[in-house]
Amino acid sequence: MKLNLTVNGAERQIEILAPAPACRFRLGDGAERAADVALPAPGVYSILLDGRSYDVHVERAPGHWIVVLEGHRFEIEVRDPRRWSRPSAGRAGETIETVAAPMPGRVVRVLVAAGDSVEAGQGVIVVEAMKMQNEMKASRSGRVLTLTAREGATVAAGEVLATIG
Amino acid sequence: MFRKVLIANRGEIAVRVARTLHEMGIGVVAVYSDADRASLHVRMADEAERLGPAPSSESYLRIDRILDAARRHGAEAIHPGYGFLSENAEFAAACEHAGLTFIGPSAESIRALGSKTGARKSAIQAGIPVVPGTAGAVTLEEARAFGQAHGYPVLLKAVAGGGGKGMRRVEREADLESALRDASSEAERAFRSPEIYLEKWIEQPRHIEIQVLGDRHGNMVHLGERECSIQRRHQKVIEESPSPLVAQHPEMRQVMGEAAIRAARAAGYFNAGTVELLVDSDRRFYFLEVNTRLQVEHPITELVTGLDLVRWQVEIAAGARLTLRQEDVAWRGSAIECRIYAEDPYNNFLPYPGTITRLVRPLGPGIRIDGCIYEGWTVPMEYDPLLAKLVVWAGSRDEAMARMIRALGEYDVSGIRTNVGFFRQIFEDGEFRSGRLHTGFIDEFFARQRPAEPSADLAVVAALAAALHSAAPEATPAANAASPWLAAGRQELLR
Repeated sequence: MKLNLTVNGAERQIEILAPAPACRFRLGDGAERAADVALPAPGVYSILLDGRSYDVHVERAPGHWIVVLEGHRFEIEVRDPRRWSRPSAGRAGETIETVAAPMPGRVVRVLVAAGDSVEAGQGVIVVEAMKMQNEMKASRSGRVLTLTAREGATVAAGEVLATIG
Repeated sequence: MFRKVLIANRGEIAVRVARTLHEMGIGVVAVYSDADRASLHVRMADEAERLGPAPSSESYLRIDRILDAARRHGAEAIHPGYGFLSENAEFAAACEHAGLTFIGPSAESIRALGSKTGARKSAIQAGIPVVPGTAGAVTLEEARAFGQAHGYPVLLKAVAGGGGKGMRRVEREADLESALRDASSEAERAFRSPEIYLEKWIEQPRHIEIQVLGDRHGNMVHLGERECSIQRRHQKVIEESPSPLVAQHPEMRQVMGEAAIRAARAAGYFNAGTVELLVDSDRRFYFLEVNTRLQVEHPITELVTGLDLVRWQVEIAAGARLTLRQEDVAWRGSAIECRIYAEDPYNNFLPYPGTITRLVRPLGPGIRIDGCIYEGWTVPMEYDPLLAKLVVWAGSRDEAMARMIRALGEYDVSGIRTNVGFFRQIFEDGEFRSGRLHTGFIDEFFARQRPAEPSADLAVVAALAAALHSAAPEATPAANAASPWLAAGRQELLR
């Protein structure tokens, strides 16, 4: 299985030749390598590579994975080239902007209505968590196409609350 | 001694106070809001009483309900912790009226020191240097005049302030009006007082504070300093004792300690308190304010002095004499605290509440954790994001930093985001390690961070883990699960 990765902004390709635990893989055109992989807990990978032991934590973020090991943090996007390659929502978003919650919290104010015209930089929705308010602003001028945010509603990080086009 | 004490707080500090009360054989009464029914402080208590709905204005800030709870449970004293009602003079007075002992200073001392401008005035009278500033709350015209007289930048501060709320650094006169308006409305929201005063901005100051402890009979000692210069949004995140600066200039401890005692005595202070100072690059110190309560970062003082500050608070409140003399106070080794917050350091430190799916705590030599979290607990979104304080002690600062890095590596809090990984980067930073600290440290740290250049093998391992994980069935977004051959391939990968 070949996968395209973006690792902290750099394009990489990885081919998984054998699954865990006795994993074999190849990076780009490099040589085949072997890694012993155990999963002590969901999202935690214990990987032995060339005799070294790595404890790796993987968690989901909107559009990518956050991988942390030995104090380093990687943001990795994984794409499967066998999937029909429509541009991802983020890429197509040149014409439509999504306004997503920056953190888990509660919607405390909705400053626009569906159909409203907004200017770039205009406040759209205010989300609050742990005594901190965060005002999300439109990054472009346009019209509010959809608005799912309701005052008082609890939202997850990355949840799309409005679209502007 | 009291038989039963009510803790008018939640979170890690309620747990911290309960631990000492348990050791003293004193019954513990917890109070809680609807968001905290399953919180650790309730589970650890001997008795518990509901205060009301989740918002603190309907629960932890309700003096009437807290006093009712104390009466119903027969508590004789109230420990306020920090935050919430801990520095509320009305609350301290209401406790005394109700025949309950407030574990803290007198209402009069809290009132005298609670106003930042009032506290400055009494510091000046006690002969302690203060940062040049206005005598009291200002109008826009007065603020302009101060800026013209002292030069920019200036710092706006809430008269009733604390915790960085209502605080703004202003670079030039053109920004003064809007900054004053913003700070004032933030102060109004946070403290129900829109009053703002001005101070001259001190370049790259250190924040060093002195712990004092006094009884009701006029005895008072200082327990040395804590350096709290590492801050984000004007809130401390790393504290240490001794201060690396004081370690180089040991005479500073006595000079600052004696000044702190003078400031506290001037306000008729008793119980535990903290005198906050700013120290400039010429090692001149300026009085900032007095915190009339136990500080979040008190454990580092406990570790270097071997004292239990909560036990002393309770004994002093019960009328005991401070048997500790200044010459009995000895400092040993080095202690560092990291405040573990539910927040994302890589997204402007925005809060990140949620459910803790996995929790592995560091163990081993020299580790102390004051926390309130457990696996499966949902961190409420209504309160402060402080989850735990990771505190280490070692013989020297170098050893303490190594121990902290080791401990952070063992700490696994999953399901939410925390600043654990970020702290590790700080402790590996050369500036931090050399002890050149100031309150703007974190901003500069981010600015000088080049994109991390981890070893090639780390990137390989990260890529492998991401590839395997994105192929794991539980990680697959529902939309992709529709493709059976893809799902089969993914399962195969993890077999």
